[in-house]
Amino acid sequence: MIMVSVILLLLAILGAPLFAVIATSAMFGFHRDDTDLMNMALEIQSIADLPFLAAIPLFTFAGYVLSESDAPKRLVRLTGAMLGWLPGGLALVALAACAFFTAFTGASGVTIIALGAILYPALKHDGYPDKFNLGLVTSSGSLGLLFAPSLPLILYGVIAEVSIDSLFLAGILPGMVMLAMLSVWSLWVNRDNRKPLSSFSWRETAAVLRETIWEIPLPFVVLGGIYSGFLAVSEAAAVTALYVLIVEVVIHREIRLSELPKIMRASMLLVGGILIILGVSLASTNYMISAGIPQMLLEYVASLVSSPASFLILLLVFLLVLGAILDIFSAIVLVVPLILPIAAEYGVHEVHLGIVFLAAMQLGYMTPPVGLNLFIASYRFEKPIMHVYSATFPFLIILMLSVILITFWPALSLWLVASP
Amino acid sequence: MSSGLTAFITRLDRFGRLLENIALVAMLSSMIVLAVGQIVLREVFDTGIIWADELLKLMVLWLAMVGSIAACRDDRHIRIDVLSHLLPDWLVDITRVLVDMFAAVVCAVIAFQAWRYLQIEIEYEDTVLVETPAWIAHVILPLAFALISYRFAVLAIKKFVGLFVNVEEVATP
Repeated sequence: MIMVSVILLLLAILGAPLFAVIATSAMFGFHRDDTDLMNMALEIQSIADLPFLAAIPLFTFAGYVLSESDAPKRLVRLTGAMLGWLPGGLALVALAACAFFTAFTGASGVTIIALGAILYPALKHDGYPDKFNLGLVTSSGSLGLLFAPSLPLILYGVIAEVSIDSLFLAGILPGMVMLAMLSVWSLWVNRDNRKPLSSFSWRETAAVLRETIWEIPLPFVVLGGIYSGFLAVSEAAAVTALYVLIVEVVIHREIRLSELPKIMRASMLLVGGILIILGVSLASTNYMISAGIPQMLLEYVASLVSSPASFLILLLVFLLVLGAILDIFSAIVLVVPLILPIAAEYGVHEVHLGIVFLAAMQLGYMTPPVGLNLFIASYRFEKPIMHVYSATFPFLIILMLSVILITFWPALSLWLVASP
Repeated sequence: MSSGLTAFITRLDRFGRLLENIALVAMLSSMIVLAVGQIVLREVFDTGIIWADELLKLMVLWLAMVGSIAACRDDRHIRIDVLSHLLPDWLVDITRVLVDMFAAVVCAVIAFQAWRYLQIEIEYEDTVLVETPAWIAHVILPLAFALISYRFAVLAIKKFVGLFVNVEEVATP
């Protein structure tokens, strides 16, 4: 069995599709337990038993439609009108716009391509140093991960069987803390170039509000629908998809009907890639639970740490390493079922665990060797990968501090959840 | 390769892509319509379709499977992508041949097992969506994994052939 695990690990590192590696480990487990391999089919098709999962394809599609339209441009203009009069305005605009956009596109690297392409030259034009701009745009690509309705939040809710509504609320303050810390850092770095982007103008604000009149209701459709008890998460996703379609295709006419199949395909490639990993992970998780692996892990962890605080330190280190090698979606479906019972044993709230998990995994987007944002930025802005990495490093440190804060201050995640 | 064969393969690829797109568009659109329709029925007419929720969930399964087939064609399955940034291209290609063959075999095994499971569902006359035979909903599993297996084999073979074409080019400057 150890031999098999080593070979599988090797195959994964060599670049085998992750779902195939996970499926193989599950099938070896079944084989050892004398369970009929036919159960693989049963496990994979139990994707259709999970609640709210429809939210994932629907929100992903809505996000792709938004990023293909001119919505990114309008979003930058809107945040510019709102925040541009502040000193260091454009940096703040970039952070806020990216966070908002990532929440809707699910941190798939789309943000860097859709918004970075607008913000990077704009920042340069405004006299910000190139290295700062590159770091800012790269690290902003996964910034909105904790804000509703981001895909990782939904996936965590489905896997951990935690209320997605609560997770959406729980992510708000920690996400704000990340934003605030990065904003303070950006202002401090550019303390010699604190000129506002523009002075506040009622005329510009009115014009841009008119331009974005159809997109501004979006967050309210999603959150309002869910918290009024009017819509389930999957229903909010369907309404969002339909709404975005009508706005961008019929009203703004920025996406032609004939382009839709291409956009649908692109978004469903991502969804197919994530959900097939989810399907085979259901099998491997079931095997691991029947083989008593969570208990073994718990005993092992208990032999290392005793207090909740030291458990959180261990967890954080583990997640940072995990995030450096595994993408966020695979990490959620593979690891969350295993650490959930352990965390419960140490009295870590499952909602708080989710926020810590995602916040830590967010750093994985910009840590080598597999940080997705690093490669996308390097490719998009034609900079060597090491250059992107060193430009991103200060932002990584700031985010690391914010993750530590989020981890050891549970109230930050739980405050909004506890007070309905 | 003869030009006739190349043309045939190109046409096959275009046809396959078209089929995938039609399936994806049809399923995603009907998901939106069904989910929004269900809200309207509930809020306006105070009624609903009993099997709508189950159908939506089955559509997610189908979307996942067809999306996976499509992801294979465009080589977009999630992998740990470390080596491609570290190793020389020819070595990356060799490892890709290996791991894609591995994936093809694994998917063939899953397809076979899913096929066996389907026989049992037919035998026991399992149903979904009130009284639809369950195998109709679940036939996508063996089908999808067989196609994914085939696509990985194609990816591997393409890379394998590419390996030798490159070597020849280097050998004859």
